[in-house]
Amino acid sequence: MPLTRRTLLQATMLALPGATFDTCTALAKGKPAPKDALLYFVWPQDGAVIKGAFWCRFGLRNMGVTHAGDNFQNSGHHHLLIDVDEPVNPDEPIPQDKAHLHFGAGQTEARIELPTGKHTLQLVLGDADHFPFVPPVVSKKITVRIK
Amino acid sequence: MGSAMRSDIYDLNSNRNPGAPDSGVPRRLAAIVAGDIAGYSRLMQLDEEGTHARVRRIERELVEPTIREHHGRLIKTTGDGFIAVFDSPVEAVRCGIVIQQNMIGRNAAQSKAHWIEYRIGINLGDVIIETDDVFGDGVNVAARLEGLADPGEVFISGGIYEQIKHKIVCGYESLGDRKVKNITDPVRVYRVLPDPSAFKRRRTRKQGIVVVTLSLIVLTLAGGVIWYLTMQTRSRLTQLATTSAPASRPAETSGIAKSAATNSPGAKAAPAPLVSEPAAQQQAKASIASPAATATAIAPMTSSPAVPPPLEPEMVSLPGGSFAMGSNEDASERPVHQVTVKRFAIGKYPVSVREWNMCAAAKACAFTASGPDNAPAGNLSWSDAKQFTAWLAETTGKPYRLPTEAEWEYAARGGTKTRYWWGDQLQPDLASCKNCTQVASNEPPSKVGSFKANPFGLYDMGGTVDQWVEDCFHKNYQGAPTDGGAWLEDGCSSHVLRSGSWRNDARYVRPSNRDGYDTHVRYPTHGFRIALTL
Repeated sequence: MPLTRRTLLQATMLALPGATFDTCTALAKGKPAPKDALLYFVWPQDGAVIKGAFWCRFGLRNMGVTHAGDNFQNSGHHHLLIDVDEPVNPDEPIPQDKAHLHFGAGQTEARIELPTGKHTLQLVLGDADHFPFVPPVVSKKITVRIK
Repeated sequence: MGSAMRSDIYDLNSNRNPGAPDSGVPRRLAAIVAGDIAGYSRLMQLDEEGTHARVRRIERELVEPTIREHHGRLIKTTGDGFIAVFDSPVEAVRCGIVIQQNMIGRNAAQSKAHWIEYRIGINLGDVIIETDDVFGDGVNVAARLEGLADPGEVFISGGIYEQIKHKIVCGYESLGDRKVKNITDPVRVYRVLPDPSAFKRRRTRKQGIVVVTLSLIVLTLAGGVIWYLTMQTRSRLTQLATTSAPASRPAETSGIAKSAATNSPGAKAAPAPLVSEPAAQQQAKASIASPAATATAIAPMTSSPAVPPPLEPEMVSLPGGSFAMGSNEDASERPVHQVTVKRFAIGKYPVSVREWNMCAAAKACAFTASGPDNAPAGNLSWSDAKQFTAWLAETTGKPYRLPTEAEWEYAARGGTKTRYWWGDQLQPDLASCKNCTQVASNEPPSKVGSFKANPFGLYDMGGTVDQWVEDCFHKNYQGAPTDGGAWLEDGCSSHVLRSGSWRNDARYVRPSNRDGYDTHVRYPTHGFRIALTL
């Protein structure tokens, strides 16, 4: 599948006169993202102290939210990374496990329940095939404390 | 849908007024969402067939599913719009926002003159819902709000605002009371802004409106010219896209093609205390000649009169029994509870690419799996898996289905009570998971049954691919059934995954591990195995 994606991308670039090539010559497999794309937490704020479960709200500017599998330009779906230290790998789909929550149905908020203590949260936007965009559209990593 | 809806309303009515006469017109309070496409006639003038096709596609792929996902009901679509009703104002507004956000993405690929933009109005009101229409002042107000909204925006009435203001974090810009045609009382109108910080930007934008109006006129004029020029490039692009899309992993397939020849993978040394059904194997030998070739030969035909009987996956019959389901390792696996399952049969392996693609070739499964024939089929959503079991049950006349969550864990434990089926400690090379093998690999599994079978003679019950089961996802076992049946409810949006995959670490290989995932979303590591009622 990754191979198909790349060929398709290159074919598209070829057909577009004036498109620059440096955006897709790298090995990264994700879709290109606009430079001004901004992914952020509407809530909670960095450093927030929260009691119990909370609604986590995802903010995105200059791109659209769509379902996973929908191949529209400049749109993707949210992933919430909880206490993840490894950097985002641009060559692989965003992992799916208890630390990488997927919101492929186009959700823009989620009810999150975490054990008491400090936790980091970070948003990563994934493309139709769950690959990070190029350049990656990621939020600032925030820290919250659960009372 | 219409008749079901109607009976719902009657039910609702009779529940509330037991013994009330049936003759009254059913009324109810509902959040009404009215949407229409701005400048539809202009778009139709530009490109009648193209616009029509795009609008239909948007309705099919975006509007209808989004309404469904938010528990709404699409009452009707008109040429350029739609009306839907929701029980919940929160869901109605979320639905509106999701549609608008998705449209931004869809329009990004188009020149501005071709943008399809919805105006959306939402109102809370008392309505009469009929089979394919909805009546009442409430509907008219929703339609007027929609008329006031700018393209790409959602306008809501004061009634809706009061219900949602503390529940959806958005910006709401009050536009004051507006007099609405044919409605006596003025309506308070709010503009929904996707996030609160958009509020400030909104204000400065107002001054630019004059400029925007002027440039819009210019744009409309230029639209025709741009359209003509872009059409040629676009049609070339679409051609390219359609021709290259079906190509599937040529390099990988050829690289591992040699493994496709063997049909029963893995060791025969499995203790398998239970009967394994050889029927499928015999059939397999008979029709195995070249499944790939048959599949491609059948594919292009629209009506396929001579479709070969499906290759039934190999099944293992299990006796019924009682076991302790769950563990204390993760909150989602608590509480541990005693469950009794009836006898049933379960797939010896996860469904393979070859098995899956028989369903795709028969046009009964929408997705075509890629990878070597004997690799586990992946990138499947729960609804994909359901298509497969429905097709297999239909063509064989046998009650094939997905296993229930309880059946899956019962089968995975194979009579053991330990952390893994082989004991409490992780041992290398017993399952396909991250850092579970001596030679580290991040490649997808090329073949099902590459590791040792569990005490029930089942392969890949833990690791390899995540496996969908029938049950809706619940965050823990509070209130779970104990009869081995699936735990279901209407319209749940996520289902349960078991087993963990080659990309998860050893914790996920435990038979009690569980996770949930969106029902209709595909992910590369997600596959399934089938079950059969005996």
